[in-house]
Amino acid sequence: MIRRRVVLAGAAAAALTGCTPDVLGLSRSVRVAVSWGGPELRAFHRVLDGLGKLDYPVEVIPLGDDISTAFGARSGRRPDLVMLPQPGLVPLHRGELEKMPADLAERGRARLWDELLAQDGSTYGVPFKTAHKSAVWYRPSVFRKAGVRPPALWEEWVELNKALSTSGIRPLALGAGDGWMLTDFLENVLLGTAPGAYRALAVSTDPRASRVPEFAAALQRLATLWAAPGTLAGGVERSLTQQFPDAVVEVFGHRRAAMVAAPDFAEPVIRSFAADPSDVGLFTFPAFAAGAAAPVVVGGDVMVLPRPATDDAWDLLHRLATPASPAPWIESGGFLVDGRTTGYSPELDRLAQQLVAPGASLQFDLSDRLGELGGINGLWRVLTDLLVRVGNRGQDVVPEAVRSALEELAKVES
Amino acid sequence: MGLSSNSLSLEIAGRAVSGRPVPGKPQRPAGPYLLGIPALLLSSLLLIPVAITVVAAFRLPDGSFGLGNFAVMGDPAALHAVRNSVAWVAVALALVVVGFLLAVVSYRLPGLSSFLQPALVIPFAVSVLVSGATFRLIFDPAPERGTVTAVWSSLFGTSPVWLGPGLFWLVLVSAFGWTWLGYVVSLFRAGLDAIPDDVSRTIAAEGLTGLRRWRALELPLLRPITGVVTLTLVVAAVRVFDLVLIVVPGPMQHEADVLGLNWWRATSSGDNSGRTAALGVVLFAIVATVAVIGVRGLRRRRWAVPVSVVPADSSLRRPKPSKRVRRIGWTAGFVVSLFWILPAVILVATALHSPREAGLRGWWSLDGLGLSSFDAAASIGLLRALLSTVLIASIATVVLLVVAVPTAYLVAWGGLPTWLGRVVTSVFVVLAVTPVQMYAAPLRDAIDAAGLSGSRIALGLVHASAGLPFAVLLLRSAFASAPPMLVAEALQGPARQSAVLATVQRTYRPAVVAVAVLEFVLVWNDFIVGFLISGAGTTPLSLVLWGEARQFSTSAGTVAAAAVVASVVPAVLMLTFWRTVVRGLTIGSRP
Repeated sequence: MIRRRVVLAGAAAAALTGCTPDVLGLSRSVRVAVSWGGPELRAFHRVLDGLGKLDYPVEVIPLGDDISTAFGARSGRRPDLVMLPQPGLVPLHRGELEKMPADLAERGRARLWDELLAQDGSTYGVPFKTAHKSAVWYRPSVFRKAGVRPPALWEEWVELNKALSTSGIRPLALGAGDGWMLTDFLENVLLGTAPGAYRALAVSTDPRASRVPEFAAALQRLATLWAAPGTLAGGVERSLTQQFPDAVVEVFGHRRAAMVAAPDFAEPVIRSFAADPSDVGLFTFPAFAAGAAAPVVVGGDVMVLPRPATDDAWDLLHRLATPASPAPWIESGGFLVDGRTTGYSPELDRLAQQLVAPGASLQFDLSDRLGELGGINGLWRVLTDLLVRVGNRGQDVVPEAVRSALEELAKVES
Repeated sequence: MGLSSNSLSLEIAGRAVSGRPVPGKPQRPAGPYLLGIPALLLSSLLLIPVAITVVAAFRLPDGSFGLGNFAVMGDPAALHAVRNSVAWVAVALALVVVGFLLAVVSYRLPGLSSFLQPALVIPFAVSVLVSGATFRLIFDPAPERGTVTAVWSSLFGTSPVWLGPGLFWLVLVSAFGWTWLGYVVSLFRAGLDAIPDDVSRTIAAEGLTGLRRWRALELPLLRPITGVVTLTLVVAAVRVFDLVLIVVPGPMQHEADVLGLNWWRATSSGDNSGRTAALGVVLFAIVATVAVIGVRGLRRRRWAVPVSVVPADSSLRRPKPSKRVRRIGWTAGFVVSLFWILPAVILVATALHSPREAGLRGWWSLDGLGLSSFDAAASIGLLRALLSTVLIASIATVVLLVVAVPTAYLVAWGGLPTWLGRVVTSVFVVLAVTPVQMYAAPLRDAIDAAGLSGSRIALGLVHASAGLPFAVLLLRSAFASAPPMLVAEALQGPARQSAVLATVQRTYRPAVVAVAVLEFVLVWNDFIVGFLISGAGTTPLSLVLWGEARQFSTSAGTVAAAAVVASVVPAVLMLTFWRTVVRGLTIGSRP
């Protein structure tokens, strides 16, 4: 009996002490929708903590892959500030977004960002975080053992995989559990082989990727890479259950694979899970022909304010937009600031420099700009099915699988 | 004229009848009807949105009415989701059968339940989300981390990818079964225990054995409990939503799609509201059909044995089993309990590793022990979310009790005309199984329009309203199973009523406690209602799911820590009140 009373009294006390307007949900907090999870989410909380004392509570809503629901007309509690991981969505939602004031607008008109964020002299978002999506992380010790070097050309990469698998090492870990890992891979191939076609698809108002021959060719190349027997660590089924950090752990933690194609923000995962922190190497996607520019696919998170924004939301946006705000995140790794090329880890310094290097073939993430076609029921599904059909199965299955992929894609387009 | 019962006696002074007798209907006092008003108001929180959804389902974009929206069922994806939802209902029914058989075994092997009881209660106390996370940890495809994968590959060399295509069903069903089996077994066990020994001896004396005995004795006597159990499990099966989100890796999620998820994706992608409403109605039709068949058992009561207040003569009880049988039962109970509690142990052990160690290796690893995963979980606002959960659950529980007790009293004893009583009961049965998809969208719009979005109080009221039907049905059964004498006396005047109420309080407290504890725990563990009405981030569990579990394996330590923190309160509550809860759940179903 006493136990029960204690339990009840404890519950009542906790309920009473917790009844601040904030917990009651009555005071107006600034709701920030983010797509981050795990260590990234914690890093963002540190960024918020570093902003100093705020006059309003901030609520972080992790929406993950469903971040685009933040704009839905019936999304329930609409967030006040969205850290949008798909800047390509901004042009589709301009009507629902606040225009940035002059002091911030300039940053939204930086190279690459301007075509997504700016229109008719107005800017609709401010870049918060930039992502380099053409990075490949590997273990140098394995490369040394197999006597290979990071590839400078795509063909060398294919050969390198062969060399590794013949020496008993699985070359690639693939985090197919995250659909964007697959689309990033494809985008790199497409941008490297046919920058013109990539560009045309990106700016098209009615993209029909399945009818673009260069797109089909890129699918073919990608399928060829995945199909080589022994390429994917753990096979297709393991790949499907792996998210991007799991694939990183497969390479650096459990050391079952030699490399993983993962963006700059894989860095903190590598640092926390690497069995040997000194055994970490990085190369970027190779060029597809001698003399051609190597592809650099750029992503990022852009801050946008759904209309109408409260004063508090504006205040938070201004604070997050200061150059000093992301310092805690930069410290823990895996964060690039648009335009800044130094002050990161050596690996990230290299990536940041490539983002501003002249002559690089830079483009924003394509899948974000294709609307539903590039999303979870479009390209994600198509590439997952392609992977299931070809993974580790040899080259014979590739033409048929590519044909099915194009048919599937055509279905989504219509 | 005198009337006496127990130690009280009542004198009624008669007077001579004068004038001629007037034929007429018996007077029904209007007073008790007032007791129903709060329930009516609270239920309208569900009834009105449900009505709006039904209308929306039949209204076509051009404003006319028709079945056009149901063409959505021709969509292969929606059809696939319906099939999966029906499969889940089948799983729930299978679980009822398995639970029943286990209850019989444990009834025959006394001693088994002494260990088994807490082992069975804990899974029921934690949320589906937590058990999903636990089973995803156990079946992790990396042999360094996943328990089953590690054991399997050490036995057979290689292991299937448990979370892979097709096999993820095994993980889903294990998690669902782990959560609910204890509930099923406990309730059936309580029902078996309540069978009066003299009845079973009579049956035995008539020479009925084996299957014939079952058909004559146990099956009809357990029918009411079967009704309660089936109802709960079917509702749970149709509510499956968060389980799929947390267990199934992204690429397989469309394969595991259920109607609830399909509906959510359709609404959040801004699909036509008529079509999504149609999806909700279909979901509702499935549950209602199964539930109505299931609860028929609640009404068909063949036996009317009064609740025995005096303990039966112990010499007439079941003979004590032999020492050998008890020892077998004890050992089996110990082993089964260990096995059954293992997932909880794995969860706690994982939480006690550092995030790095938990992401790299399994719970059995001896490196990296400590509380740093709890630190990490605290840094994403877990404590604040816990507070708001305490608040929501408390509001819901208090409001529910205040409204449900008088309503149940009214339905059971309020002298409602028979037809009205039936209508009210039927409405509550239907509301009890109404899936949240039927009312979430209009309710959310209304709450937003009222400027209450994010208000924990509004959410608490919605929870109370959603819990009301089941609470009233349960309390009604409890009240209605009162000895008819008591009721007759209660109807004779206010003086007797208060005396009767005192008895009620003593006798029916278990039902009230059951309602309170279950409501608090269910609201605490809720994901789907809070998520669909208030969006992510309101409850600690949605934070776990949407924050940490986004990158499941590498966040294993933090996920486990947050899950443990979120489970402490419901687990303690359930373990403390479990006996009372089971008594309360079965009191009305006593034969």
